[in-house]
Amino acid sequence: MAYVTDEIRDAAAAWHVRLGGDAASADWAAFTAWLEADPAHAQAYDLVAVADAELDDLPLTPAPPTPAYAEPRRPSRRAFLGWGGAAIAAAAVGAITLMPAGGTYEIVTAPGERRVIALDEGSRIEINGDSRLVLDRGDARFARVERGEALFTVVHDDARPFRVEAGAARLIDLGTIFNVIQDGDRTEVAVSEGEVEWRRANARVNLTPGMALSQRGTEDPVVTRPAIESIGGWREGRLSYSAARYDAVAADLSRNLGARVSLDDAAAARRFSGVIVIDRDPGVTLDRAGALLELGARREGDGWRLTVERGARR
Amino acid sequence: MKGGLEAVFLENRMTLLRFLRARGAGDAAEDFLQEVWIKASAGASGPIAEPLAYLYRTANNVMLDRRRAEVRATRRDTAWSEMAGDTAPAQSETQLIARERLAAVETVLAALGDRTDAIFRRYRLDGVSQRDVAAEFGISLSAVEKHLQKAYRALADLRERLDAE
Repeated sequence: MAYVTDEIRDAAAAWHVRLGGDAASADWAAFTAWLEADPAHAQAYDLVAVADAELDDLPLTPAPPTPAYAEPRRPSRRAFLGWGGAAIAAAAVGAITLMPAGGTYEIVTAPGERRVIALDEGSRIEINGDSRLVLDRGDARFARVERGEALFTVVHDDARPFRVEAGAARLIDLGTIFNVIQDGDRTEVAVSEGEVEWRRANARVNLTPGMALSQRGTEDPVVTRPAIESIGGWREGRLSYSAARYDAVAADLSRNLGARVSLDDAAAARRFSGVIVIDRDPGVTLDRAGALLELGARREGDGWRLTVERGARR
Repeated sequence: MKGGLEAVFLENRMTLLRFLRARGAGDAAEDFLQEVWIKASAGASGPIAEPLAYLYRTANNVMLDRRRAEVRATRRDTAWSEMAGDTAPAQSETQLIARERLAAVETVLAALGDRTDAIFRRYRLDGVSQRDVAAEFGISLSAVEKHLQKAYRALADLRERLDAE
């Protein structure tokens, strides 16, 4: 082990801050040279980077909104009123149900089913299984996630921001790819590109790439930083978590497998960090998930149950 | 757009390998480079402003993930050997440790003073960019960097202390 001086520790922290800002490739090249200069440098940097990453596992609260710095950001214009006409060039086939009132209609997917909806101007919505979305025929820049999960790829238009409703939250895209989960009273948003503004009552949080916000019932929102490449990973059959509650993981499994996955109440509030790779065979996936979650997996009716009895297997 | 990223990746293979080695990849650098490409190409579904910086950042994350996996494995081994005979690796134990860590982190942040604490939380937990934090607090970008550096230094020191216990 190299000897790590105070100066090296300060320098490592400074590098970490610089790389977390708008680091250009020249910064990264300079960082490489710094690492190579002394083995103690890499050691000190590792310590800072791991300490930072481990904050994701802790339920730290966002900055309290004090008047000193948290003026709510107002949208610069009243942009959300009264444009319409843009029709949905829907690439979807199948269960599009017209609703009685207004121009809205519902899209429902069965567990395990996937669907892609192409909206105007190249925007699209990829919908996971067991989900229900409401879209508006007269307004292609709006969607409501009633239940389940969807990944939005939105071509940004300053004059007509794309808005998503999920539970009591409103999301306003500022140019973007983002994933939304609505599961009971829990709403989760993760941004992989661009920026999304999350609003609920008077609270606002701006989410930039690599950020996820999770909010349940009347609790305060919790912001985490999942690996950016993991966002929307369900499309490739990868479910990635950072300190996610087990009940959220079970809901994800149900959506993706097309089989109901229930969970012992005793395990609901446990937290999981890691990646579950979805196999075509739900049994294989459940065994895998069980091993990672340190739970047993057994069949229950048409579905599966994850149980704290470790020995339980199919 | 993936074609553009791929070209940048291929052009800069040696640069990225060198970076991975500097980050401790050793003989496995080629394997890690594969992983970097897989993650970078999977994560890039839109135009990327600075592809090389993006590839560097992905490489940095790959090495960070590996380091974290090592840390977890070491902790798990320690936990197992400390609780020999017990069959479950006691989630409650982990949660207890998490609570202690949370309290320690809160204490460290509080000790840095309100302003550093608030700036750090705004950046790290609210995810506001350094530039935007500077604007909100009415200070320069380099002043924000100083606050963040101080916070990260303290958190790294804390982690080292906790791990030594």
